[in-house]
Amino acid sequence: MRLWVYIVRRLLLIIPTLIGLTFIVFILSHISGTNIILSEYISPKLTGIARQIVIQKLTSEFHLNQPIYIQYFYWLYQILQGNWGFTSTPIFNGQVNTAIALFLPNTIMISVVASILIWVIGVPLGVYSAVNRDSAADHTLRIGSFTLYSMPIYLIGVVLIILLGVYLKVLPFSGVVNPVSVSAVSWYINGISYPTHIILIDAIIHGAWGIAGSAFLHLILPSVTLALAIVASMIRILRSSMLEVLDQDYIRLARSKGTAERTVINLHARKNALLPVITLFGYTVAGLLGGAVVVETIFNYPGIGYWTTQALLVSDVGGIMASTLLFGLILVFANLIVDLVYAFIDPRIKY
Amino acid sequence: MENTLKVSDLKVQFYTRRGIYKALNGVDLQLQQGEIFGVAGESGCGKTTLGLTIMGLLPYNASVTSGQVILQGEGDLTASLRESFSKGQDKFNLKQSESVTKKLNKQLADIRGRRISMVFQDPMTSLNPVLQVGFQVAETVITHQPKSLAQRKLARTRATREDLEQILKLLKTGADEQTISKYAESKGLIGIESQVLNVWRRNDLGESKKEKIIISLHSEKLGSFDKIVLENVEKKGNIPVWMRIPGLSRAAKNVLLREGYAKATELLSMLEVPNPDKVVRMYPHELSGGMRQRIVIAIALANNPELVILDEPTSALDVTVQAQILELTRHLKARFNTSFIFISHDLSVLAEVCDRIGIMYAGRIVEVAPTEVVFKKPLHPYTRMLTRAIPTIDGGEIQGIGGTVPDMRNVPPGCSFRPRCPDGDKCKDMKPEMVEIEEGHFVSCFQAR
Amino acid sequence: MSETELKKRKWDNTKLSLSVFFSNKTAVVGLVITMIFVVDALIVQFFPQLLGITNVGTLVPNFTNPAPSPPSMTHLFGTTYPGIDLFTSMIKAIRIDLFYSVLVVAIGATFGSLIGVISAYVGGLMDEIVMRITDVFFSIPYLILALAVGFILGRSLLNMSLALAIVWWPLYARYTRSQTLSTKEFTFVEAAKASGVSKVKIMFKHILPNSLPPVFIQISLDLGSIMVIFSTLAFIGFIANASVPELGYLTSLGLGYVQTAPWAVIVPGVAITLFALAVNLVGDGLRDVIDPRRRS
Repeated sequence: MRLWVYIVRRLLLIIPTLIGLTFIVFILSHISGTNIILSEYISPKLTGIARQIVIQKLTSEFHLNQPIYIQYFYWLYQILQGNWGFTSTPIFNGQVNTAIALFLPNTIMISVVASILIWVIGVPLGVYSAVNRDSAADHTLRIGSFTLYSMPIYLIGVVLIILLGVYLKVLPFSGVVNPVSVSAVSWYINGISYPTHIILIDAIIHGAWGIAGSAFLHLILPSVTLALAIVASMIRILRSSMLEVLDQDYIRLARSKGTAERTVINLHARKNALLPVITLFGYTVAGLLGGAVVVETIFNYPGIGYWTTQALLVSDVGGIMASTLLFGLILVFANLIVDLVYAFIDPRIKY
Repeated sequence: MENTLKVSDLKVQFYTRRGIYKALNGVDLQLQQGEIFGVAGESGCGKTTLGLTIMGLLPYNASVTSGQVILQGEGDLTASLRESFSKGQDKFNLKQSESVTKKLNKQLADIRGRRISMVFQDPMTSLNPVLQVGFQVAETVITHQPKSLAQRKLARTRATREDLEQILKLLKTGADEQTISKYAESKGLIGIESQVLNVWRRNDLGESKKEKIIISLHSEKLGSFDKIVLENVEKKGNIPVWMRIPGLSRAAKNVLLREGYAKATELLSMLEVPNPDKVVRMYPHELSGGMRQRIVIAIALANNPELVILDEPTSALDVTVQAQILELTRHLKARFNTSFIFISHDLSVLAEVCDRIGIMYAGRIVEVAPTEVVFKKPLHPYTRMLTRAIPTIDGGEIQGIGGTVPDMRNVPPGCSFRPRCPDGDKCKDMKPEMVEIEEGHFVSCFQAR
Repeated sequence: MSETELKKRKWDNTKLSLSVFFSNKTAVVGLVITMIFVVDALIVQFFPQLLGITNVGTLVPNFTNPAPSPPSMTHLFGTTYPGIDLFTSMIKAIRIDLFYSVLVVAIGATFGSLIGVISAYVGGLMDEIVMRITDVFFSIPYLILALAVGFILGRSLLNMSLALAIVWWPLYARYTRSQTLSTKEFTFVEAAKASGVSKVKIMFKHILPNSLPPVFIQISLDLGSIMVIFSTLAFIGFIANASVPELGYLTSLGLGYVQTAPWAVIVPGVAITLFALAVNLVGDGLRDVIDPRRRS
């Protein structure tokens, strides 16, 4: 019963953060002058009189002649209604909402795959490294994760491209699918696949295994790059957390009970060691999102990140502000989920 | 009578960045079954290290340089520790000491919790904060006595009302534990007797209530899955092989765990924990210090070990709880004939429970004698000063002991107490040996002879 | 304890600290490498003629031979598109990267730490407000925020640094705040208060010196991370100016030729990695020195 109270309270805490977030985005778009709203919300295809009419309409809708703090609320109202303006970039030209609907699924896809990889690889390695401290394997792991941690994410991507894409020619490293294979397919129009906009899933839905395979292969390098960039810090944190836990009195007590060492580690130690890792997962998600931007750019993977960098290059204000807001929203909710999961797991949190 | 535990010339040292710290410099100790042996001394004299060495729970930077810890029937517990360090280590090798520690843990896992167990000083940090306390108690029973757990539950399933009424009759006519066990065995109900007796011996219930509870122990229901698991454990000591796949094995282990919780509840009620069935599902941070210490004691006693090492069990608790714990210790010795090593810096606490007391100083035991003798006729100068330093009801000035414990990195030759000793000159270069001055009274001091 | 005894104690402690640090071989290696980078930056800044560099602040393209060429005698690390010599460019770029990274950390750390300490010490409403503000900053992934802020300010190197500093200060504010909060509870602060020392004096003389050592470690670790993020932003095309010597930007130049000229991306990337690695090693070494548990 009390868990629900905690959830509700936590949800309420988000509201000031969300207000702050939207406010920052709003302020940012206004530092260079009030016309930003205009450029964000006017469809770039309009010219001449039609444009003037829309400008008039927007001015009244957004109350652009009012002081800034009033404008904020009207803008917020538009945002909440789903009207996020227009974006005009080389890969997409049109409403921001459509852009998000098209590109977000791909980003989610590689982020999810990367997250799974991070946990499946990171946790066992981190635990192993701590338990077998100073062994050859531990030293290798430490050196490896340290180096990975110091590498910029784009370098990881590039190295993977060179190793697996160029020399070994094993994996593709551009785009989301082999363009030839989708040239005559009914559910793939103009670079967009239906119904989920994720080519891999749609191909499976339509039973096109060849395309699915190609999509899968194209998925590997971007996800692995993302995963590698983040797993390095996770292993380090988990290792030091585990070492600290292993020093604790209750581990000594568990051993004094005659519990098998394997149980001591996997049951008693690991659960305690993972707690700080979960708390830090919020930062991990932030890293994932930022990393997605870089990774999608290197691999020409059409996701939100790719769209963002394109917007940056052509100075598309609408696009940049919208994507900033979007990323912020994703992160806020991801942090919320992490907090709730943590409260659920740690019995010491009293709700 | 053979000693339950014999420690001979035990030397243990720690490697630190600031030098090699010699914690134990030749400890000798003999323990009989059923006696409470107190180890007294100032902080830093090595008492905790002694306890940890016996259990084999030393930290990575420790090494046993010589000596033996012989448990009756097991041989030297520290043998493997010393083997690896026999090359005379002056430098510290982390990797090697880690692998040695791992090997040791594996070797001693069977003994720990079953034949020897330990109660640590600080109940707040001794319990795992993310596991229920009932689980932590049940775990040790499942590790060492899975069969008996299975038997308990199965006995309850197989027992008929008549069986229990018969047992009740036996109890009322004053039959002892053995008779009841024989009866249970004859009816194929091994495992019922301890449950019955535990209820019978409770102080917080009236007799008619107890009768009701005992009778109600019959014909308990048992699902078929549970039955398969338990019967297998009863016969072979572990869950059936075909159940050892990820999903199933968890369910199977939970069957045992449920009974483990029941046993934990029983243990807690024996330790006079109120509402044991609720406490068992709580987490350590929800309990008070006294309760936590009782949980730790329950864990230590769960498998009826021969030896329990208590490391300052009362120092972190207030005086009333202290009294309860001491009473408990006496009660357990009387009922189970368990041996205890009671480590404390507080001589007055030791005076209450111990049969014999050993005084430790700078890593050695310098005097051993029955409790009364220690207080009435202390022979070692250190012991004398300690006994004089205890506040008593009739007042009088307390005499402190001047000086401080020596730096254990550079132990001077001869008697380590010499700098603080009011007399003594022969012991400047020669370490006095432990000599039996009168029966059962050993001292290592030239003065005493 | 007398003056001389105190001094001896301090000297012994310093000796122990130094010996702990220098016994850590990797930390020493890290320190050496960091020094090399710093020396490079200094030389390029003050004595560029020594290395034969004329245009300190720009990349020199060679349009007659734009395709990247492999390492050779004339071009030690080869060239990248369009015909830019990697060796000299990297030497120039190190100075830029180092300077701006230090700038980011300096501004962000100073500003953030001050706010953190004051906020924690004063407490109350101000503390709440500061916490909410930092919360908001944390709600946007740092790369994205830096992108957005930098975009608004204008896509230049300086603005990129400012953007990163703006993104980074909340981290220091939070960090020093928690340090201050725990130091505040120590009894010696109570003692100072009881003897009538003014609030400001307490803050600066007692709390700040105790909160600072972990912050220094954080700074040394951050230097590497900031430089990596800085180069990442440049890599994705943040800077409008097409001929700035910057390691990330250099890497991006070679991106189109990754199949034929891998050195063009590897070499600048390795330089950044090396610096980050070195700085992280030094930071780890410092952490060993300061954290009392790891000293034994």
